[in-house]
Amino acid sequence: MTALVRGELYRVATIRSSWISTAVLGALTMMLGWLSVDMWKLLVGVGAIGLATMQTAQHYQHQTAVLLHLGRPHRVLVLVAQLIASVIVTVAFAALSGVTVLGKGHVEQYRDVLVVVPLMAVFAAAAAAILRRPMWLFLASGAWFIIIEGLISSLEKPLPFTAFLQASAGDRLHLLIFAGWATLAVVGAAVAIHRDLVGE
Amino acid sequence: MIEARTLTKWYGSVTAVDGATFTAAAGRVTGFLGLNGSGKTTCLRMLLGLIRPTSGTALINGRRYRDLQDPLRQVGAVLEQGISHPGQTGRAHLTGHAILAGASHARVEELIAYVGLARAADKRTGAYSLGMRQRLAVATALLGDPQVLILDEPANGLDPEGMAWLRELLREHARKGGTVLISSHLLAELAQLIDDVVIIANGQIRCVAPLTDLYGYATTRLRIRGRDPGRLWQAYERAGGHVSMDGYTLEVAGLSAEDAGEIALGVQVPIYELTADTPNLEQVFLSLAATR
Repeated sequence: MTALVRGELYRVATIRSSWISTAVLGALTMMLGWLSVDMWKLLVGVGAIGLATMQTAQHYQHQTAVLLHLGRPHRVLVLVAQLIASVIVTVAFAALSGVTVLGKGHVEQYRDVLVVVPLMAVFAAAAAAILRRPMWLFLASGAWFIIIEGLISSLEKPLPFTAFLQASAGDRLHLLIFAGWATLAVVGAAVAIHRDLVGE
Repeated sequence: MIEARTLTKWYGSVTAVDGATFTAAAGRVTGFLGLNGSGKTTCLRMLLGLIRPTSGTALINGRRYRDLQDPLRQVGAVLEQGISHPGQTGRAHLTGHAILAGASHARVEELIAYVGLARAADKRTGAYSLGMRQRLAVATALLGDPQVLILDEPANGLDPEGMAWLRELLREHARKGGTVLISSHLLAELAQLIDDVVIIANGQIRCVAPLTDLYGYATTRLRIRGRDPGRLWQAYERAGGHVSMDGYTLEVAGLSAEDAGEIALGVQVPIYELTADTPNLEQVFLSLAATR
């Protein structure tokens, strides 16, 4: 397991486009955090989805999942390692990008976001393991958030992104609800990861 | 040793592989031949646990791939023309997989030099040629110093020097007692490399045999040019040969070169040319893959 997590983190660190985009997004998020805590929260959420999704789905996009599963044929272990690596990367991203928020004295909001961001990383990485295509996931997430949670539910029903937003504002009930959504995604991913890897 | 026992894979109503049974023995290089879409890649992926068979068993050293201890130290695989993230350098790709394989940094450097990528190791793999990606894939497969090698079209994109290098690498691996299963459509190349042949067509195994036996399936034809083709034709047919004409040259099956020479002497017809046209692997493969 340790080797798997190390391998994943090494991979993230050595793909130039990956760490450059993370650094740019981090700098932007940090800047916006200085202007508005709410903007920082929103961007951290979006960033967590993006980072965790790309980290996991790129393995399928570039077929490197094949090498991963040849190295560790027990696929649930691979999934767990990917979830852990996603959590580490997104928490580091959130923690570092939030120094401006901390600097302005919003300690509680900073803490609340750092509590819920690992769940978002787990949720997004698990969803990526199910869908395997990052673009599909981004489009599906965007459409879901705007149409289902925004227009239809007016951000009032206990749906994933609504729960994330409420939890990042310190709502403990919604934190539990979002943990439930993340667990559901992990169960789905644990089943889906056993699908055939048929190649191009 | 690699064993496929009645491996079958259905995708809905389509049968990709139908009851494939074959072995690849240690100390030998086994060629896995099939046309595009014949089920080769599906078979190889079932052996490697990447695709679940609908029925049947795939074993490597007596175990299913997922039951192997430290699989990268037992099996090396080259699939899909060099898999790597295009934004990662060759060295970083190998180092990342060395972490999984439990291989040292020294092993990574050794393999980079061995596959001839020393000067390109710090370039992103997205800038690699197909041949360079294949070399990187071979290095990735060798990280754990495995006894079994499974290679799907590894010669694609390699230049003649690269092919000679790969041929020598695989022959040396088999000489040391390793098992090599290689698929390729470059049949002339494969003929110089393999000991045994497995032929698959339409998802079914058509032939499992040593290469030398495979050549025995096909009849050697003689090409004979002499002063009087008509008299030669009659003489060879009387002797039991099957004769056809190609311009001024006779094509004779069913007689040895010695018999053909003696018969020509017997009927007093001078021979200008007599060659034995031994079928090559491509001809044998096409006849086995297409006719049954």
